[in-house]
Amino acid sequence: MTSTSTPKALPVDDRAQRPQHPLVTWLRTRATWILLLDIALILIFGLLSRNNVYLSSANAESVLLSMSQILLLALGLAMMLGAGIFDLSLGANLVLSSVVGALVMRSFQTDPGVQSSYHDIPVAMLAGFLACVATGVAFGLVNGLLIAVGNINSLIATLGTLGIGTGIALLVTSGSDVAALPTQLQVWIGLNTVGVFPIPAIVALVVAVLLWVVVRYTRFGLRTQAIGSDRGATERAGIRVRGQLVSLTVLGGGLAGIAGFIDLARFGSTALGGHANDALGAVTAAVIGGTLLEGGRISITGAVWGAGLAVILQTGLVIVGVSSFWQLIVVGGVLLAAVLLDRAAAVRRNRTARRE
Amino acid sequence: MENSDVVIGARHVSKRFGHVHALRDASVTVPAGAVVALVGDNGAGKSTLIKTLLGINKPDAGEVIIGGESVQLSSVRDAQSRGVDAVHQDLALAPELSVVDNMFLGHEDVVGPGFLRRRRMAERADAAVRELGIQLPSLTVPVRELSGGQRQAVAVAKAVMWSRTAVLMDEPTAALGARQSEIIADLMRTVAAKGLGVLVISHDLPRILKVADTVTVLWRGETVLEAPAADLTVPDLVATMVGYRAEEAS
Repeated sequence: MTSTSTPKALPVDDRAQRPQHPLVTWLRTRATWILLLDIALILIFGLLSRNNVYLSSANAESVLLSMSQILLLALGLAMMLGAGIFDLSLGANLVLSSVVGALVMRSFQTDPGVQSSYHDIPVAMLAGFLACVATGVAFGLVNGLLIAVGNINSLIATLGTLGIGTGIALLVTSGSDVAALPTQLQVWIGLNTVGVFPIPAIVALVVAVLLWVVVRYTRFGLRTQAIGSDRGATERAGIRVRGQLVSLTVLGGGLAGIAGFIDLARFGSTALGGHANDALGAVTAAVIGGTLLEGGRISITGAVWGAGLAVILQTGLVIVGVSSFWQLIVVGGVLLAAVLLDRAAAVRRNRTARRE
Repeated sequence: MENSDVVIGARHVSKRFGHVHALRDASVTVPAGAVVALVGDNGAGKSTLIKTLLGINKPDAGEVIIGGESVQLSSVRDAQSRGVDAVHQDLALAPELSVVDNMFLGHEDVVGPGFLRRRRMAERADAAVRELGIQLPSLTVPVRELSGGQRQAVAVAKAVMWSRTAVLMDEPTAALGARQSEIIADLMRTVAAKGLGVLVISHDLPRILKVADTVTVLWRGETVLEAPAADLTVPDLVATMVGYRAEEAS
């Protein structure tokens, strides 16, 4: 065999997959299946519910409102997972942010403890909102520094801050919820709607659209997924990986802060005990939707449909009179089925690659 | 050879890691348009020398020459800004990203607050790949779905796209079959024909003797032979690599 020094055309290697029609690609995407599953469930619950009440606009509102917070957490988590960061502390962050926000709003009472004694209510609400977001961002910053600068595994780092954040929230409040927030909070925001869309859901969906653009069309999204795909390769490409990781935890933290404010707006008080499983719910929503737990691939639309799945099942089962405990079982089953299908695809790919 | 003819090289470089004297007196010279092979036994210091030329290691003594000038490199970025890029042993590609995204990682073409100019990126990547005669089924599939030889070709195309002076390759064919190794060897000549310097570490002596213009042999951190490939045979090289013999020092 002699080598020629000026190759004109190298042999075509056709073992790799050729690109497929966009429609085929779309149908093969996990987010699409979950969307179809969501639609099928809505139709089934609609048919089974008395007077098709599941298809009413009131129920649509309730589903959208219920999914707004878990969606915000799932969106932040999808971004972090994209770079290989796992965040267990999102629920604790939400609670701590809501506590700080509630206390800041309470400082606008002229008569401490009296709900009707708020002055400058719009200002109080804005201050409360900013306090929630600032707390969430600070919480995320601490996580980011532990992970990126301290080089602590993200699961361990956020397991630590989960405990610390929850403990601080309980200490500050002595374990009882901060209530008696201005009623306008619920009237104007938490229970207010534009058409069929509750304000909190609009916030979450706007965030989803923005992040979808970021993931698909920006350098930030590209680099985030590059880190999760191969951190060493990304570092050698000259990218400041640590800074990127901290930006991601700050983003996820800020979204948890917004979710904390939504908590206050929906219920008019904090919910100290209501968010212990939120981080796991967010992981479930993100991973069901096709975001890779190992990093490298983010699906924002998948996180939306995944967050929807949990809520649709929860409300649907109640309406058709089946124990809502089944929701846990079904969501768990879908999660496992989705991940198993991923594994099967990876095994197929490896077999093809080994045939070289 | 005068410095001005050297696109990348090292002169009498030494480097210690604690008690390990990884490089004692290592020199290598790559002129423009040439393929230079860097060979040596395991632990001879080949990768350390390449890392020094890339700014990953700082030499304790000696000088690094890029584009005819003696330079002090403080980082990979530094070497990149002088037009030097590398194909690493493990390729340094992100498997989940597409070919185009991988080729532009760290050099993204953006507008405004970081929006990717995907069309321009795709066109440029396509042109770079075509110029090297590489054929891929698609530039939008994730790299994970490519064969080993295709990935290697993508890594070479990426390095060539961003280098203006030299491309360094660390064991580019170690993981490849015979046919794919042949393709990558041809690729080295194509890259050199563009006027870039190519420095390649390889254990595949028969193939490297056919591809390279000159061969530099490292032995325990020392350059013991720099000679035209045409004057060498595989047994010569093996003898020099495993035990430095004084009569070949000149």
